[in-house]
Amino acid sequence: MLNKIQNLNYLLIFLVILISFIGAAGLYSAAGGSYGPWASRHLIRLAFFISLAVILALLNIKYIYQFAYVFFILSLLLLLSVELIGVFGKGATRWINLFGFSIQPSELIKITIILALARFYHDLKFDEIKRIKNLFFPILILFLPFALVVIQPDLGTALSIAMLGVLILFASGIRIWKFGLGLLVIILSIPLSLNYLQPYQKDRIFSFLNPEADALGRGYQLIQSKIALGSGGLTGKGFLEGSQSYLQYLPEKQTDFIFTLIGEEFGFIGTMFIILLFLLLISVCFYISIKSNHIFGRILSIGVGSNLFIYVIMNISMVSGLMPVVGIPLPLVSYGGSAMLAIIISLGLVLNVELNGNLKKLHNA
Amino acid sequence: MFYSDDKKQYSVLNRRTFFLYFLKVSFFGIVGWRLYDIQIKDSQKYKTLSKNNQIDVEIIYPLRGNIYDINNKILASNIKVFDVYIIPENTKNINKSLNELNQIIKIDFSDRRKIIELSKKVKKFEKIKVLENINWSELEKIESNKLNIEGIFISQDYMRTYQYNNTVSHLIGYTNKPNREEVDLPFIANMPNLEIGKDGIEKSFNPNLIGKSGQREIEVNSYGRVIREISRQDSQKGNDIQITIDLRIQKFALNLLKEHKAGSAVLMDINNGNILCMASTPSYNPNKIIQKPNKKYWDSILENELSPLTYRCIQGLYAPGSTFKMVVAIAGIVHGVIDTNTKHFCSGKIGLGDRLYHCWKNNGHGLMNVNNAIKESCDVFFYEISKKIGIDKIAKVAEDFGLGKIYDVPLPNQKKGIIPSRDWKKKKYDESWYPGETLISAIGQGFVLTNPLQLAVMTSIIASNGKNVKPNIIKQKNEIEFEKLEKYQNAIKIIKNSMFKVVNESKGTAYNSRSETAPFAGKTGTSQVRRITVAERESEDFRKKEVEWKKRDHALFVGYMPIENPRYAVSVVIEHGGSGASTAAPIAKEIFQFTKKLET
Repeated sequence: MLNKIQNLNYLLIFLVILISFIGAAGLYSAAGGSYGPWASRHLIRLAFFISLAVILALLNIKYIYQFAYVFFILSLLLLLSVELIGVFGKGATRWINLFGFSIQPSELIKITIILALARFYHDLKFDEIKRIKNLFFPILILFLPFALVVIQPDLGTALSIAMLGVLILFASGIRIWKFGLGLLVIILSIPLSLNYLQPYQKDRIFSFLNPEADALGRGYQLIQSKIALGSGGLTGKGFLEGSQSYLQYLPEKQTDFIFTLIGEEFGFIGTMFIILLFLLLISVCFYISIKSNHIFGRILSIGVGSNLFIYVIMNISMVSGLMPVVGIPLPLVSYGGSAMLAIIISLGLVLNVELNGNLKKLHNA
Repeated sequence: MFYSDDKKQYSVLNRRTFFLYFLKVSFFGIVGWRLYDIQIKDSQKYKTLSKNNQIDVEIIYPLRGNIYDINNKILASNIKVFDVYIIPENTKNINKSLNELNQIIKIDFSDRRKIIELSKKVKKFEKIKVLENINWSELEKIESNKLNIEGIFISQDYMRTYQYNNTVSHLIGYTNKPNREEVDLPFIANMPNLEIGKDGIEKSFNPNLIGKSGQREIEVNSYGRVIREISRQDSQKGNDIQITIDLRIQKFALNLLKEHKAGSAVLMDINNGNILCMASTPSYNPNKIIQKPNKKYWDSILENELSPLTYRCIQGLYAPGSTFKMVVAIAGIVHGVIDTNTKHFCSGKIGLGDRLYHCWKNNGHGLMNVNNAIKESCDVFFYEISKKIGIDKIAKVAEDFGLGKIYDVPLPNQKKGIIPSRDWKKKKYDESWYPGETLISAIGQGFVLTNPLQLAVMTSIIASNGKNVKPNIIKQKNEIEFEKLEKYQNAIKIIKNSMFKVVNESKGTAYNSRSETAPFAGKTGTSQVRRITVAERESEDFRKKEVEWKKRDHALFVGYMPIENPRYAVSVVIEHGGSGASTAAPIAKEIFQFTKKLET
């Protein structure tokens, strides 16, 4: 046990804490120079989740492996119950109350998808991977949560689940041509699936595809967000010197648009620093993956790193106008418990892989 | 077997892992590059747009098109005017500045108080309007003292102006700010403050005259101060419009009319329907409506019981009186009731039922044929023939000659008038037609109501030997050809001969107005404005015509010139002018002579 604690990857833990502290600084500024209401809770959550992640890291990886499908099914049920509450209760929601905590199952499901896929490919013999029938199960694992999230409708999360699936399937050794085929199937099924959608769902999809049509809503947000970033220049306007007047145009300044606030106050240097920290964090995940000598650990680490990557790329692309504005937070920086929990827990799993994966001699443990 | 050591699988996994890693690094590169673009390359652009700055779009209003007369004289255009503002932040003492300005141009004390009050409320860089629409000489005085007066700002604007004040005011109309309903009109969609035509040609041709708006994007900081202009798209001036009015004739006619309280004169070119003159008195001065404050002037117009806003040429409805007799005579000839030899005896009155119908000449005209009946305007002759023709046939001919119609000309608010018939009365009053009403209609009294433009059109149709002349107010490029109403040829020939006699033979009602320089033909009309009682008819005052102005008869004259191949048709109506012969015919003569002189 003590040995394990000594061998924890402290670089990873340090990066998580550093990024979260930058997030707390941003939240402090977003609140107009106040710890309340966001920064303080952000830091309390950080402390709590980090402890949780370390405990998770010290577990025997066998238990995680054994319960991988159970976790997946449990989180799928949670997601389903959100849907049912949405159908039978008071309108659509993304939240569910669990043990007194308000949780977004769509954030948790990404982690259990990674677990389920990691177990599946661990169990599958390498020669079996190329068989078409062995694509059925992983696609089901991806499709069920994807479909549930689409009808919420949370297109940002749905898109990130799809991207996560593609990255993990690629990493697991699926033949490249199957991706081409899959892409073809998706394109062909778009007009078909549109027929089954309700008119309001179509509207949402089309307004998602064409945010310019809503110029005063999301289009305006985007302009303001670019002005905030651009006016930061190289060095930024300085901590707490960002123009609040602009950020008033950004209703999600403490969540999805926190990056623009940091960009305004700390400039290009600040944004590059955050991007490098994330790149470093992802690199650590990949390093642990490569070092691991079991498939479960490899896929798990690549999955967690990819999940992190998808969050970061989507969020920054969104606020800098490279892609439409869909609600995706910046991990560890944006305010919000579910995403933070999911990210830190998943990194706890990666820590666990490192402690259990590079011990070749425990071959038959 | 938890830990795998399948070498082949690991090598595939390693390759894929490295590939994914480089994919991700390159994605981070793309995002980093994007941020470099925004934060470093375009930083200056965003910095200017930043924090305190935002962009406003200002509409540039277009200049309204001009209106010209047939000889290219400007009737309506835009003049530069100047507004004087004061900017509080540019003066140390706003009170002192206003006092200095007051020494050049008088500013009401109460206005000064208001400005000072306002300057305390608005932002210190905001312009406050002190004087509006000042002219050149006032501007010069201010300009030469401008350096001494702190905080003064002069801006240029355009104001609609009408060169000839009240000469063509009814026809052209005036402009003003749109009212609540007009704001939704499509052609002013984005220009709620644009002045639009409210009457006449200005109103009918709003879409043509208005032009296209431009716009400029300006950068305004969070306090509303304009930082700079970002882009500019100039507005397009509206189209000019040329009308058929000859300003010289219009002016001349209006001067003649001004000797009377109220009246109108219409002169048409028979060949193409062009309206050369359409004067109405009293009129108003559109410039006084446009220049604010205009309340006093408005009130004076609205209080005037002669209603200067009424365009009598198209909105004044009068019983046509004897000018209607041509229509009745033509109906009689066309329907075979009379020919040139048909004679009726006028004893001064005829009876129908238990009522007497009087001729204007108490002693009677004696034996009359159609020529003499028109020449001397005998009423009894027309009573007699109308009994045989019947009202419906008269009404049909009247309509063929352009009466009781609203013309397809861009003149708003034309009044249709009334050409009575059995059907009309049934519909209007749900009553059947009485024979006596036919008699009264035959001399252009009773229900019959026409406007002066209609009378001019009627005269044009007669003068042109039955061409279906349509009035026209906008100068056309193409020659206009009117179709001929063949069935009236013969009748018109007879009637034109009668109309010649009215002016040019002794005993003709307008013989006193005959002209040597511009010989013309025509018909007088005198229409009663109320029923005359028997007692009055016998009284001394009635014969001397010493009756109160409002109770006097309307004086009418219609005519054409020259007698051979007529080119011009006129209608003159003088309200309560007494008789057509004494009041209206002389005006027609003057107009014809003036027009003739212009031709040579």
